[in-house]
Amino acid sequence: MIISPESLAVLGGAIALAGGLTGSSIGVGWAGSPAVHTLTEDPGQLRNVIVLVSLPMTQTFYGLIVLILILTRVVPNIAAMPDPGGNGFAVFACGIIAACAESFSAAYQGAICGSGISMLPKTKGAILTNAVMLAVFVELLGVLGLVFTIMALTMLGLF
Amino acid sequence: MTIGAESLAAVGGAVALAGGLGGAAMGMAIAGYKGVATLAEQPQHLRSVIILAALPMSRVFYGLIAMVLIISIVVPKIAAMPDPGGSGFAVLACCIIAAFAFGFSGMYQGTVCGSGISSLIKTRGRILTNALVLAVFVELIAVLGLVFTIMALSILGLM
Repeated sequence: MIISPESLAVLGGAIALAGGLTGSSIGVGWAGSPAVHTLTEDPGQLRNVIVLVSLPMTQTFYGLIVLILILTRVVPNIAAMPDPGGNGFAVFACGIIAACAESFSAAYQGAICGSGISMLPKTKGAILTNAVMLAVFVELLGVLGLVFTIMALTMLGLF
Repeated sequence: MTIGAESLAAVGGAVALAGGLGGAAMGMAIAGYKGVATLAEQPQHLRSVIILAALPMSRVFYGLIAMVLIISIVVPKIAAMPDPGGSGFAVLACCIIAAFAFGFSGMYQGTVCGSGISSLIKTRGRILTNALVLAVFVELIAVLGLVFTIMALSILGLM
């Protein structure tokens, strides 16, 4: 059995989404543990806690965008390329960009959100804006991973 | 020995269930350690501890759904595809999404449930609702993993 280039491209899209889901799980888990302790001290912070805990979940959807783009736009283009086998592997390689970007940015966004959640009782909720601002910096890396994956696929002529 | 396309797809289903079982086992163990410590101090929290420690178990059933769908619906369709070998590998790739989602979300839901269990004594059991709300965020990622796996298989025309 020979692995076809299309199925390698599907694997690239799949690891992009798998990275997003992994990172979101770790991030929400890391933010959720301090959240329980914060709610133990001050149950009135539930609204702010939910805002911060749900931030790392967005990386799942960036991974999903990469998967859908690869399955619907890139895979049909591969057969027409001059070197289909090499292009299938190149799509897999581009999927690694997205997978690493989404997984690490979501996990460490969870770390920032967890720190913000721990500070909520001390600051009576005033830290929310600053914590969201710092979390957006990490979010930016997830967005950049998505954009650069699409850029790499475009430069290869696959998109 | 040549690996058949159907057997590669079956490996995919098995990987999805294995991810679910691994995540559920780790999550329940992480929550269970905290549960033993809590019950040693206050045995009357047994009901809340059992509810929180059992939450990561749902991954097993999501993994089972993925495996049953692949073995009963996807495998019989592979032989009729234009490129059976590539389709078998693509099914394995799609199942990596589910395996990562179930494995990591189960494990990190265990940390959230464990924090909830540790806080039961201090709040006299009132943290249960809030801990459940936070655990459901991680649960959502596992559900998204299952849904997106089925979606990817549908886009490939295998479901």
